[in-house]
Amino acid sequence: MAAVQIADVRKTFGTTHVIRGVDVDIEDGEFVILVGPSGCGKSTLLRMIAGLESITSGEIRIGNRVVNDVPPKDRDIAMVFQNYALYPHMNVADNMAFSLKLKNAPKSEIETRINRAATILGLTELLDRYPRQLSGGQRQRVAMGRAIVRDPQVFLFDEPLSNLDAKLRVSMRAEIKDLHQRLKTTTVYVTHDQIEAMTMAEKIVVMHDGIVEQIGAPLELYDHPANLFVACFIGSPSMNVLKGRVELGEFITAGGVRLPLEKTPPSALGKPAVYGVRPEHLKLSADGVPGKVLVIEPTGSETQVVVEVDGQPITCLLRERVAIQRGDTISVRADPALVHLFDAETGKRLTD
Amino acid sequence: MSLAKIFRKLGLVFAVFLIVSPALLFFIWMVSLSVKFEIDNGAYPPILIPEHFAWKNYTSVFESNNFLLYFKNSIIVTGAATLFGLIVGVPAGYGIARMNAQKSAIIIMIARMTPGLSFLIPLFLIFKGLDMLGTLWPQIIIHLVVTVPIVIWIMIGYFETTPIELEEAAMIDGANRWQIFMKVAMPIAKPGIVVSFILSVIFSWNNFVFGVVLASRETRTLPVAIYNMLSFEQVSWGPLAAAALIVTLPVLILTVAAQRQIVAGLTAGAVKGG
Ligand SMILES: Nc1ncnc2c1ncn2[C@@H]1O[C@H](COP(=O)(O)OP(=O)(O)O)[C@@H](O)[C@H]1O
Ligand SMILES: [Mg+2]
Repeated sequence: MAAVQIADVRKTFGTTHVIRGVDVDIEDGEFVILVGPSGCGKSTLLRMIAGLESITSGEIRIGNRVVNDVPPKDRDIAMVFQNYALYPHMNVADNMAFSLKLKNAPKSEIETRINRAATILGLTELLDRYPRQLSGGQRQRVAMGRAIVRDPQVFLFDEPLSNLDAKLRVSMRAEIKDLHQRLKTTTVYVTHDQIEAMTMAEKIVVMHDGIVEQIGAPLELYDHPANLFVACFIGSPSMNVLKGRVELGEFITAGGVRLPLEKTPPSALGKPAVYGVRPEHLKLSADGVPGKVLVIEPTGSETQVVVEVDGQPITCLLRERVAIQRGDTISVRADPALVHLFDAETGKRLTD
Repeated sequence: MSLAKIFRKLGLVFAVFLIVSPALLFFIWMVSLSVKFEIDNGAYPPILIPEHFAWKNYTSVFESNNFLLYFKNSIIVTGAATLFGLIVGVPAGYGIARMNAQKSAIIIMIARMTPGLSFLIPLFLIFKGLDMLGTLWPQIIIHLVVTVPIVIWIMIGYFETTPIELEEAAMIDGANRWQIFMKVAMPIAKPGIVVSFILSVIFSWNNFVFGVVLASRETRTLPVAIYNMLSFEQVSWGPLAAAALIVTLPVLILTVAAQRQIVAGLTAGAVKGG
């Protein structure tokens, strides 16, 4: 196990800047998730940690050793690829033994390690099978088995669940988390799925366009997004945003709707800003803002209602069942204490 | 089965027959020639199946013409040229595929397309200067012009379809370049090696021009030996056809035997699932 430090790392492919100065500190034993929309550079960053991609500038340390010029095989890391990358000509046991055989590990040790990994992952029955004879979920497990027999300093995962169906994905999520609890190996996990990030990570790194937007614990990002991008990216259904300006004690939307604020940040006064509120922080209330119901979607445990406020669709997530219909006019009210304000120009958070 | 389906199937059978019939008829006629006496071979209207079979056409091929020597020559030349072709071509194809070196691939193709006679004469003089003409070496070396490009081009295709992630996984697992090639890339491309082996054997076995120029009486390969059976006064079709069939037979057997391998190889490219 080891800590990983990424310091001012940049990556260019020809003239395109893919990673534009990233700093991340990963503690020993931590489970960190890099999340961001497709194409933001997550895989590239992960591959730089693995040594599969050169580092244009900056420094990556694994366990206090600068690894910029260390080839992948000497970095003591293991990686699980999106399409598993199992060796098709080897059976499950040989797939897992490959790295140990290359290291000339004694036969008895190889066997012990494979059996241990197979037991942990429930692969004992499948050791003689070839990858083509396995289901997606089983392949996924073999890929993880190949990583854990190595007992590496760091695990790297690149979207390991994206080829699985929805149900399996949920159970594998729990399994990977559980595996980390057991092994306590430092893990860097890449995904574009914010739910995966929220449910699994100890620390989330939100990336966008080659830079880090925010680093923090899942709920920290949810409750205090540092900017508009993180606010909208984290959370499902995503945060409602309205453009307008800040006045004393209230926010006035472009269409003139007045929304109460608990505190007015002095720096924001009179400036154009963005008002954000999460769907579950909206309630039906007679003294709220009126709006026409566009969509109503009951899921049983909750009801999702989309109302038109200020010409924009606003999503409300109501815990209770409501007797309203499409086309009705209802009043909704945000809890002023749970409202977020962002700078309209920079997107930076204005509320603290 | 519905009527439309039957018609479609019949149409397919007919189309396939139409396409392969020239090759098929040619082959059948050759078989027919090889078992007929000269009288039947010259008969008009032509006879397909004779009353008396001339099996001696076959036995005489083995008896005369040093046939076994030429057969051995062919095996040595084709075997050695294919072996060297694979030893050189497989790693070369790997390198070209992984380094995206299309230009070198094209240069190899051009070398392959250059008419043989343009370099045969100078090479003949060189081999003569080296006093190698009495041996099979000149032919083995020159057959590499046939086998190496075939192997390289087929292997490029195979290595390009091998997902790079597999090699990256091996790299992380601790393999060096050589180990990646030997333990991951090559085993996965095995069907490609089989296909290039077969095609290389076929092309080398059937090659004729190189032998005509470079072979002496003792170093002839089979196609050249058959050519020498033709004389200006008279062509004896029966023995000629029999000899030609015997020459073709090894290649034919190899192709039929390896057919499944080739087809399996062509469809096994998709490694994503395993
Ligand atoms: N080898 C490469 N050459 C050029 N551009 C690349 C290369 N690899 C990735 N990119 C570009 O870098 C960007 C980030 O890619 P990637 O790290 O794969 O994104 P993500 O994993 O976040 O979806 C993309 O715009 C992609 O097109
Ligand atoms: Mg990616």
